[in-house]
Amino acid sequence: MQEVIAARGINFAYTRVPVLENISFTVQSGDYVGLIGPNGGGKTTLLKVLLGLEKAKGEVRLFGTPLAHFTDWHKIGYLAQKSPVAQSRFPISAEEVVLMGLPSSHALRVTRAEIREVYDAMQKTRTREYAGRIFNDLSIGQQQRVLLARALVSKPQLLILDEPSTALDAKSREMFFDLLGELNTHFHTTILLITHDTGEVGKYISKFMYVDKNLVFFGTKEEFCHSEEVARKLGPFAQHTIDHLHNQHGHCPLGATCQECRHG
Amino acid sequence: MVEFLSYGFVQRGLLAGSLVAVSCALLGVFLVLKRLSLIGDGMSHVCLTGVAVALLTSTGPVYMSIPVVMLSSLGIMKLTQKFKIYGDAAIGIVSAAGLSVGLLLTALAGGFNTDLLGYLFGSILTVTTGETWLCVGLLVTVAGGVLAFYRLLVATCFDEAFAHTRGIPTQLVNTILVLITSVAVVLSFKVVGIFLISALIIIPPVSALLVSRTFKQVLWLASGFGVGSVWAGVYASFVLNIPSGAAIILINLCFLFACYVGSKKVRRD
Ligand SMILES: Nc1ncnc2c1ncn2[C@@H]1O[C@H](COP(=O)(O)OP(=O)(O)OP(=O)(O)O)[C@@H](O)[C@H]1O
Ligand SMILES: [Mg+2]
Repeated sequence: MQEVIAARGINFAYTRVPVLENISFTVQSGDYVGLIGPNGGGKTTLLKVLLGLEKAKGEVRLFGTPLAHFTDWHKIGYLAQKSPVAQSRFPISAEEVVLMGLPSSHALRVTRAEIREVYDAMQKTRTREYAGRIFNDLSIGQQQRVLLARALVSKPQLLILDEPSTALDAKSREMFFDLLGELNTHFHTTILLITHDTGEVGKYISKFMYVDKNLVFFGTKEEFCHSEEVARKLGPFAQHTIDHLHNQHGHCPLGATCQECRHG
Repeated sequence: MVEFLSYGFVQRGLLAGSLVAVSCALLGVFLVLKRLSLIGDGMSHVCLTGVAVALLTSTGPVYMSIPVVMLSSLGIMKLTQKFKIYGDAAIGIVSAAGLSVGLLLTALAGGFNTDLLGYLFGSILTVTTGETWLCVGLLVTVAGGVLAFYRLLVATCFDEAFAHTRGIPTQLVNTILVLITSVAVVLSFKVVGIFLISALIIIPPVSALLVSRTFKQVLWLASGFGVGSVWAGVYASFVLNIPSGAAIILINLCFLFACYVGSKKVRRD
């Protein structure tokens, strides 16, 4: 199996206070990793380091290539936590935003093939109907769906998503996670996704990574649900929700005191 | 009008002014959208240092200012990136440094004289042939750059982090943008004067942004406003006997007002 992301000994600080300490892990091709942790735990920072947006001590390899020499950016789709500068009325339509996700081109004219790919991606995130609208005029949730289309448009082998569903309504969220699940199972797309919604996302994810300055936990969903270290950090309830709602695993860390189990 | 256009220095002034106005407008669109538009203001103050050095050493102010302003613009970028100073604060610091050093050197050079006043307030009709050629070079570089790297520039302005994940060397793009702006700023001080350079970079793009629906429209309109203001301004200064730099900027403000009114109308319809 191919190593898609390999991180060795990542240390990072914005100021003097360390934000990430000695983080090492490997994401294999086909993994669907949920990156969780408290606010300010360093999740967003870790993704930025993996993409070279922040320079950290340690070694990062993407698809086996050291980050400094990595050029196959079309293999990666990225959605940031913060939406791009949106205060000024940037005169650019939603479809032009999605177009930016394709490999950068010097051509002035947009080719037919490019247009097809853009509309395909917009179809997937149900944003076709406002393809021609100005991006900044869209609602936050609509913008997030356009940005998701931009992350998907190059048909990436690795998706790196920073809280992609925060602004989505219940229906869009479900459709979006179904889409990610389908990409993961049918197209073997590797996914690394930050979320606070451990319960809901638990049913799709195969591995969990818990980051709070250090890498507290990295392993499969089953291991996650029975890790005492995670229980100490998260309380048994988060593990339990995942285990209980989506795993039919039977084992509940709360045992007989559990409300959910008795009702379920 | 015909008589006015028959003078060689008028033709040269209008040509150089138009070339500079289009360059400033094109660069300005990207700088305004990147919220870096005040960089022109900072750099224009640094021009004073360049001019003062030129007066002290009896060299050409334009040729002296170009390297000085380029260096200081790199300083602004380094300050913002390395020390995480807010962009506007970094510009303020470099601008203050440029002004104070400039004033100091001016005093050493024997105080304010008519030459210096020409640079402060602009003297479009004294543009030399050599400077006109520099303006041609500037516009060819700017327009050529925008044509060749259009998508890359738009992507970097819109979302720098994402542009980086498309393999675009965003750092390099920013550096080149800022360096070319330095040259544009220096060539503008003959046209509108040190005090009003930033207006030439900021007002036409902002006017165009108010009424445009696409990025290409913004680029065309801003260039049009820039050229229009130079021609109308120089003509007004000739007929009414007022300073041309001030006339050019006042006409730009009229365009801005018209666009503002127009944008209100468009939104209501
Ligand atoms: N640009 C920055 N400059 C300085 N410090 C920063 C910067 N961005 C983040 N930090 C700090 O780094 C730490 C980690 O932030 P990060 O955004 O990675 O957290 P997170 O795990 O993504 O949190 P959240 O769940 O709220 O998104 C925080 O303490 C934050 O204050
Ligand atoms: Mg975050």
